[in-house]
Amino acid sequence: MSNLYHTSFYAMGTRCNLVIPDFEEELGEQLTGIIKNEIHRIENSLSRFVPYSEISQINKNASQEPVHVSPEVFEILSTCSKYSRITKGAFDITLRPLYKYWEEHPSDPISETQLNHILNEVGMKHLRLNQEDRSVSFDSRSLELDLGGFGKGYALEEIRTILEDFSIKNAFISFGESSILTKGEHPAGDHWKIGINNYVNPGEPVHAFEIRDASVSTSSNFYMSDDGTLVKHRHVINPFTGHPMESCLAVSVCSKAPVFSEILSTALLVAPDETIEALSDRSMPCEIVKVRYDSGEPEISTYIMT
Amino acid sequence: MQISRRHFLEITSMLAGSAVAASSMPWISAFSQPETFGKDPSDRVRIGFIGLGTRGQTLLLNMMDFTERLNVEIAALCDIYQPHFERMGKMTGGKVPCFYDYREMLDSVELDGVVIATPLHQHEEPTIHAMEKGVHVFCEKSMARTLDEVKNMYDAHKEHQKILLVGHQRLFSPVYLSALERIRNNEIGPVTMINGNWHRNQSWILYGGLEPGSALDRQLNWRLYREYSAGMITELCSHHLQVANWVLDSTPISVSGSGSINFWKDHREVWDNFSLIFKYPGGIHFKYSCLQSNKHNGMQIEVLGNKGTMDLEVNKQYEEFPPAPPAIRQLIHSIERNIFDTIPIGGATWVPAEPVAQGGRFISDDWEMNETQLFLEAFVDFIRKGEAPQKLTDEGYHASIWALLAEEATYSDQHITIPEPYLLSKS
Repeated sequence: MSNLYHTSFYAMGTRCNLVIPDFEEELGEQLTGIIKNEIHRIENSLSRFVPYSEISQINKNASQEPVHVSPEVFEILSTCSKYSRITKGAFDITLRPLYKYWEEHPSDPISETQLNHILNEVGMKHLRLNQEDRSVSFDSRSLELDLGGFGKGYALEEIRTILEDFSIKNAFISFGESSILTKGEHPAGDHWKIGINNYVNPGEPVHAFEIRDASVSTSSNFYMSDDGTLVKHRHVINPFTGHPMESCLAVSVCSKAPVFSEILSTALLVAPDETIEALSDRSMPCEIVKVRYDSGEPEISTYIMT
Repeated sequence: MQISRRHFLEITSMLAGSAVAASSMPWISAFSQPETFGKDPSDRVRIGFIGLGTRGQTLLLNMMDFTERLNVEIAALCDIYQPHFERMGKMTGGKVPCFYDYREMLDSVELDGVVIATPLHQHEEPTIHAMEKGVHVFCEKSMARTLDEVKNMYDAHKEHQKILLVGHQRLFSPVYLSALERIRNNEIGPVTMINGNWHRNQSWILYGGLEPGSALDRQLNWRLYREYSAGMITELCSHHLQVANWVLDSTPISVSGSGSINFWKDHREVWDNFSLIFKYPGGIHFKYSCLQSNKHNGMQIEVLGNKGTMDLEVNKQYEEFPPAPPAIRQLIHSIERNIFDTIPIGGATWVPAEPVAQGGRFISDDWEMNETQLFLEAFVDFIRKGEAPQKLTDEGYHASIWALLAEEATYSDQHITIPEPYLLSKS
């Protein structure tokens, strides 16, 4: 393919790769500039690491007084709130204090009292969204929002609009290899085949999603380095128990909407299986693949929502 | 400042152990291997100040901050302007002898060093007089108004074996020091261009309400008059010119450029905008502009290499080609060969070894540091040691000489090279 455009850059704490078949270099550079700008705009608005972002302002002030936010941020928080309800609390953007506790006490003996205290103080129930004046307030002092399980999906939604503006028919976009957006098809086929890595046997994907114009998002409580080494991080905290997840688990969600895939994969990593089964009447069509590595060999559960 | 300073010591101690310390930043020895000293009055370093305008006052305040810690005495102050004279007396609680005439100060007070922050055209005389009296000198940048003055100062430093430091404070910035080490270690590949600008939107009339061109206006707003200053070329560009020389470990071969006054059409005599191209060995260019009527681009200096970029003023480093994930490489391979296969990609999020923000990562994790103060601390240490690294003085010399040659370029529309008398012998 003579005009295969590919670029790679850092964004949102990871790397972003654009692969666009049959797209000339000059237009590709223009497109990349626009996409980078859009991602920076989103980071500047949603990242808790950017001191002046709207999310940082909310974290700083919302426990003292309602913080008025932009329509965009209000809608995002409303979406998060909706999916928190749909997933019965498994999707939760308020858990930062819990994560902080485990970061600060990685090996201390656990104080259940202290942990329970933090658990009571966090949770979406403490987040108040006032539609009338588009304000956000916390009724807990220690609440802190973290849109880490949302941002990449949201960025992919925005990127999709930009790709459409450029009349791009076929494209493959990856954020940190965990959030994928595809448009159209692989030049040699009539769709894209997205393989879900098998950490025990890297050459043999545990599953392949066959998609056109759709997204795949994977969440897991371990990381994988480029050389294929498994790095278990215990970085995911179960919002119901307050403890890090011990189980070695990965959940991939494939749907038309990147934000939906992103949210659901984040939530289903910690949700009990019953929550997944109960989802069917409230979910948009999607395919869910849950892979458990606890026994060594991957145990795969697949769910299809129609 | 105390906590930051401790961190700076960690940074310098780490850099001091690197292969490039001796050749590229020998002056960090002031922090990695400082001279020991006692707390007695006999161990005290006695410093005088000449010129207490805006910059001089900043320097004085910075030094007052560490007099106790480093056993330094502010021993004398001098300024010819009455309001400055009164202010400096108040700042030091009337305890420090104040002078209008620096010669009188040098004659009557025993000093180890002086800090000179007079207008540019008044740097040469006090510098040379101080050295003749056996006093070490820290002089604000740029060194002087003419090539001969710059050379005379340098020669006096050699002749009298006195320290001469020029206040290019980026030489003590943790960001610049860390960046230099990484550049030397080829992290951004060979440097192929340096790009810089210092854009502001202001009149630069620091003292308002004065009759334009009057004696007092010329004395206080000296930066606007060609007799006293080359404007932004000596006052701003010289900082980044020093950085370019330092990064490229070289001095320019030539400079060309152009300047004009296209916005501040008042009584000023110096350019309110100019663009310069410095040509370096190896076909490398340093492109620089100053502008006084638009601040959108602010202050920037970017070092560009084929593997990355150092955006020094904002402490950011960018990679040209972040490592392509194996799955993406396989995808590209399959598209190029028209093979329709599965892309083994979906997995946990890839996370870089060092955090990245806004597409880049920080060069140094501590950068809100007071480099002016660090430089003054180093001056005190070098006084105790009796000498400073020659490279530190040479950095100031070359930036000062080439700033003046750049000025000449903007008036002549020619490629200006350095006249032979101003070349330093390679000793």
